[in-house]
Parts: sequence; C-alpha cells; structure tokens
Amino acid sequence: MRKLIIVCLLSIGACKQNSPAESETIVAEEVIWEAPAVDLSQVDFSQIPFKNLSEYGFFLGQMKKMIPAEGVLLYEPSSSLFTDYAHKSRFIWMPKGNPAQLLDDVEGSMDFPDKTILIKNFFYPADFNRPSENRRILETRLLIRRNGTWDAFPYVWKDDQTDAIYKVVGAEIPVKWTDEAGNEQVINYIVPNKNQCKNCHNKQETMVPIGVKAKYLNHAITFAEGEKNQLLKWQEAGYLSGPTDIALLPSMVDYRDENHSLELRAMAYLDINCGHCHRAEGPASTSGLFLTYEEKDPLRLGINKAPVAAGTGAGSFKYDIVPGHSDQSILTYRMSTNKVGAAMPEIGRVTVHEEGVKLIKAWIDGMK
Amino acid sequence: MNFNLFQAKNLLAIFSLSLLSGCNSSTNEQLFDSSKLSRASAEEVEKVVEQFILAEDSTVIEIPAGFFELKTQLILDNKNDITIRGAGMTETVLSFKNLKAGGEGVKLVGNRIKIEDLTIENAPGDGIKAQHAEDITFRKVNVTWTHGRKSDNGTYAIYPVQCKNVLIDECVASHSKDAGIYVGQSENVVVRNSLAFGNVAGIEIENCDNAEVYGNIARDNAGGILVFNLPGLPKADGRGTKIYNNEVLHNNHVNFAVPISDEPNGNTVTMIPPGSGIVLLAAKDVEIYGNKIHENKTVGLAIANYHITGFPMDAPNWSPFSSNIYIHDNDYKRTWRFPDISKEFGQLITVHNATGIGRTQDIIYDGFWDKNLGNAIQSNPMKICIEESQMADLHFSLFDLWEGEENIKSSKDYSPFVCKGQITTDVSAITDLK
Repeated sequence: MRKLIIVCLLSIGACKQNSPAESETIVAEEVIWEAPAVDLSQVDFSQIPFKNLSEYGFFLGQMKKMIPAEGVLLYEPSSSLFTDYAHKSRFIWMPKGNPAQLLDDVEGSMDFPDKTILIKNFFYPADFNRPSENRRILETRLLIRRNGTWDAFPYVWKDDQTDAIYKVVGAEIPVKWTDEAGNEQVINYIVPNKNQCKNCHNKQETMVPIGVKAKYLNHAITFAEGEKNQLLKWQEAGYLSGPTDIALLPSMVDYRDENHSLELRAMAYLDINCGHCHRAEGPASTSGLFLTYEEKDPLRLGINKAPVAAGTGAGSFKYDIVPGHSDQSILTYRMSTNKVGAAMPEIGRVTVHEEGVKLIKAWIDGMK
Repeated sequence: MNFNLFQAKNLLAIFSLSLLSGCNSSTNEQLFDSSKLSRASAEEVEKVVEQFILAEDSTVIEIPAGFFELKTQLILDNKNDITIRGAGMTETVLSFKNLKAGGEGVKLVGNRIKIEDLTIENAPGDGIKAQHAEDITFRKVNVTWTHGRKSDNGTYAIYPVQCKNVLIDECVASHSKDAGIYVGQSENVVVRNSLAFGNVAGIEIENCDNAEVYGNIARDNAGGILVFNLPGLPKADGRGTKIYNNEVLHNNHVNFAVPISDEPNGNTVTMIPPGSGIVLLAAKDVEIYGNKIHENKTVGLAIANYHITGFPMDAPNWSPFSSNIYIHDNDYKRTWRFPDISKEFGQLITVHNATGIGRTQDIIYDGFWDKNLGNAIQSNPMKICIEESQMADLHFSLFDLWEGEENIKSSKDYSPFVCKGQITTDVSAITDLK
C-alpha cells in the first residue's frame, strides 16, 4: 500500500509538475473510518515512529476532524510561520506529573520532559472564507522528546483523509483552494523530507521546537471552557511549572494585529519567519544577519549590511535593508521571489506571502 | 567612508558595451557528458534520500553509478564517522535541477565526514554545503552547472562554512556564480590538487584561520584565488593563509555574478574584474609563493583593502586593512589582452596604473593603510613584503586613492615593500592529510 502511494505521488510530480491545475482534482471518495482509541500514556515510545498517525491516539473518532483526545491540548503561537498559505493547528501532549520548566532567557524557552509530543497539522480549507469546512489535511509533523533529545516525524495524509502515513523522503502534493478574495489558487505543496525539519528546528545542530516558548504563548486563546492565557492553561493542566506572574514573562505580538506598532509587527513577522535560522545559534548565523524579536543592533538586523553568501539572492541590490527603500533591499527581494536558491525562507515557500511582504516593505519604507 | 572611484562621466564611457563583452571570455566546458549515464529509477533515487535520512554514526552511504535526479535535499543530520561514496566522478551524478525547496543540494553536518567520488550538478543554490563539521574531507568530488545559462547557476559549488579541519583534495568546481571552492569562517583548511574553472571566483578563503591552498589549478575564472575577510560575521576576522605551488592561469572569464549591464550588488565577488589572478581583500597574514601566475589580463596579484568596496566598514573585531603579506618566488607571465574595464576596480587598474593605460599589471597594491600605524605608505605600515626575482621587469603599481576619483595617483616604486615576511600556518590537525 505504501509503495502504491509513493508511486502515485511520484507520477503526479513527474508528469504534472508544470501544470498542477490538471491534477489537483484527485480527491478520493470520502471514507468513514474511525481510529481505534489509544491510551497515549500507555504508548511504547521506543516503538516510535509508528507507521500510521492513528496509532498514537491523538485524535478521537474520525481522524480528519482532529478532535483532541484527553490531554492533547490546543495551542497557538501569537504569530505564525508562513507555509504557502497552509492553515495549521497545533497540539501538545505531555505525560502526567512532569511539567515543563521555564528557563530564564529572553524568549522564555521551556525545558520539556521526555515523552512530550508536539503535533502540527497542515491543511487547506477548500474556501478560505469557510475555514472549518472541506478541509484537506496534507501533513502532520510530530516533534517527540525521548532520552533528552527531540526528533521529528513527518506524516503525510492519505487522499481519503482517514489517516496519515509516516514518510521520511518528503512529497509533492498538488493542492487548490479559493482564497479570501474569491480567487482560485493552485500550487504544488512540498512536504519536506525528515532531515529538512532541522533546516529550521536547529539550535547549534541540536533539534529544538520553535513555537513553544513563553514569548509566543503568552496570550489568551479560546478553549472549550472559554478564553484563557495559554501559559495559565498549561499550568492548570500540569504542563508548565508555576505559578508565575505571566505579566513578567516575555510576549510577542501578532504581526496581523494592526493595534500594534509597525515596528513590533515587522519584528514579530521576521522573528517567526526568519529568526529560527537567523540567530547566533541557528544555521543562518553564517550570514551575520540576526532577525529575532529581541535583536536591536542595526548591522545585525541588516541595515546597510552587505550580504555574505547570498549569491543570486542578492538580486541587483547592495544591502539587506536600505532604510526608506524596500525596493532596494535584499530582504524584501528574497521574500518576493519564488526562485529556489533565492527565495527566503528556503522551505515552505513555493508562493510569495503577499501580506508579509507588504508589512516588511512598509516597515523598511518608514525607516529613516 | 564611501569611496566611489568612477561614475558614468568617466572617460571610459567611450568604450562600448560590445567591446566589453568582446574582451572577456566565457566557457561552458564540462569534464564529461553526464547525459550518457543510465538514469536511476525513482526507487533508486528514493533509496539515496533514505540512506541520508536513516544514516547512523559510522554509516557508509554508497551511491552506485548512474544519473540520480533529486527533487529534495540530501541532508546528513549531525552524524559522526560517515563516508558518502559514489562510483567515481564520471560515474555517479546527483542532479538537483528539479530541487523544489532548500538552499543547497547536499548539506553535511557532523564530525569525521568524508564525501568522495561523485558529481553534483545544477543545484539552484549551493552544491555541497558543510556546516559545523569537524574533520571533513571532500575528495574527487566534482560540482558543476551544465545548462549553459550561467547567470542561472548556483552560488558556491563546494561550500564548507563554520567548520574545523577541512580537506578539499582532487576536487573540481566549475561554473558557479560566486566561488567554486569557497571555505568560509573555518579553521584549519587545506585546499589542494583541485581544479576550479569557469567560475566567477575559482577558490576563495574567507574569514578563515590557518589555511593552505596548494597544488591547485585555478584557470578561466573571472578571479583565480581570493583571500577575503568580510565584516559583521560571527567569525569576525581570519588570519594565516599560505597559497603556494598553484597554477593561476588566464582567469579572464566574464564576471557573470550579475548581468553585464548591471552595477555590482552587495556580493563582494561582483566587483572582481575579469582577468584577476590572486586577490587579497582585508587579508591578514598571507604568504604567496611558488605559483605560476600567467596570462591574467588585468592583474596577476592584487592587494586590496576593504575601502575599495565602498561598503560600510564599521564592524566589531575586524579590520578593513590587508596586513602582513609576504609574496615571493612566483612566476609571472602577462598577456597582451586588454585588461578589464567592466568593473570599477578593473578601470582603476587599466587606466590609472603606473605602467601606462591598458597595460596588464603583475602586482598592484591599492595603497590604503591604517594611519594609526604610520605616516606614509612608504614606511610600509601594513607590512606588505614582496621579494620577486623578476621584480624589475614586473608591472607593479602602488595606488594612492585617499583623495578619491578626482585625484588618483600611482607609482612604480616597489622599494618600500622589498622585505621578508613571516607567516606561519599549522594544518597538522587535519587527520586525513597523507
């Protein structure tokens, strides 16, 4: 069965790579299949990765509805990484009685116990104006901590949406949707291969989570019982040590929230989209360009900074950021191109994030 | 300080663009024709991807003969004692022409890694990148771009960065849009017995400590061998490089890092004038000897300071000056070809040299110096030492660019720089040296 899927995907990729529009209509008959209940606390972690996502027991009933099992807790970072307009949902599961510890750093990093599982689903609603209907789930990425280290396990959803299958080599999936403005969009979505996870989830060559830091979680979201700050919710659930005064913990804004200053919104966007690599401990440290929310040094932020190894990514421009001139800045050039080798970020970017480009352009154009 | 040497009003506007492109050569030469290899099946390609992903410490990844067309990156994720081995440079070809995402074709992270006997083709970004690797060997690896549209080629062919104990041996790098063999922000580096051609820069050592470059051929690039220190990097400055017994031949290729009609962009290599043999930029502690530096039409060996770029120079723990340079016992041969005027740096050399307009130079020094260290360049404050037996016959120019483009001066007088230098490098930590 697995072979068959692979062959199928490869043949789609091989034949239709220039015209995804012809192939995106492959949607199998809906199959009603309910995952058998699994007690997550009884899972044998040494047997991970399982072949099927359903074997973990994250979701109850029909998998595609993503109804979390007990202890599987929804979370949302304040700003989200752009991945070709995919919608995302994130959950965390932790073993009982062993909360994460808040670390004393500027980002509010957390030290998680073994058996922590982070679950991130990528899906496209057929109509972005009706985001909860007709969702096509493409992949679920797991980050699981065992023996003190994190490991990444990618699962690709079956066309019939009953389950997802462990797949390390990546995939290419044609997908279409209608965007908020009513326009049809068609792309070849790229599922990264397993080792590409570390292109982003990388701190000094060790696999690390990105979104589960206080600065991203220190805001309220809607739970079944109502709105609540996520850090408080985690403490209640026994997932985070405490209590702590959350007002003293770092927090980052939602870059989409226009109530905040352009500066903060731009820095939040750059942080979540670029800062995982572009930081002193990240793979893009080679560039000397550091784009975390906390960075204040103009040269490190790229202001009048010549590139190092940008190659074709430099376009016809001299500096990463030319204050007042987004049209002459390498940063916005690389955000605005889809050319592999020049496009930034390097992964999850077969399309340009128009709204993100607009935000960063406005920020650069307002600089003096 | 923003130092713009030339503007459009310069007399050189009389040279037409067609003349420019006529002067610089271009090549699409390939070592062999990879299209004749048998194509690996989808299953065979997938197996290679899986081998990289599933590799554990001490794995040998054998890639059989054939032409492998990859759509995803090959990444070795922080493993130790790994050998990646093809069936030979002309037998095993990994093509990344259809790579859909990722900055490089192959990425290697870990310790005691060896990659050998294969070819990498047409990666959209870099060919092979190694980062945070200690004891890494590239041997008999060929990295190239074959499609002929050179402006679409990738950036670096062989690209170790932030590594320790790097050996690049018997490799070939061609047609990259920046440097073919580029070693950045690393310590203990040997590049030897390798060939770089058709690149913008053949071999480049950048912000590295303790590097030796010997027994290589750098030919038909825009610039042959470069030693640079760039500002604002985590490895702030580099020192200690020996370049010896290399052949640096007719590096007269057009600089295709940017379209010929475009100004240089922020990548320093875009400023390199075609016809450059060896270029030092903000380089520290460099010894250059025993090289054949032949038929590079603009300049055989250029000693430059970062001022020449016109870029901001304010960066911590870094100096824009080249210092402690010792050049001796090299063999120079000029060419009658007209030197470069497509780049500002080329125009400077071609027009304002001390020998006469349009005369190829063997050695030039741009003449910036740290004024905290001396009152005049004649006191040789940066310790630039040149001992060449042919010196009286060489075309040497010392420039004075302090007063900007309006008042460029140059001198043939090399006497302040006749001295012995002392440079030490120690690459004994490289375990795979035989």
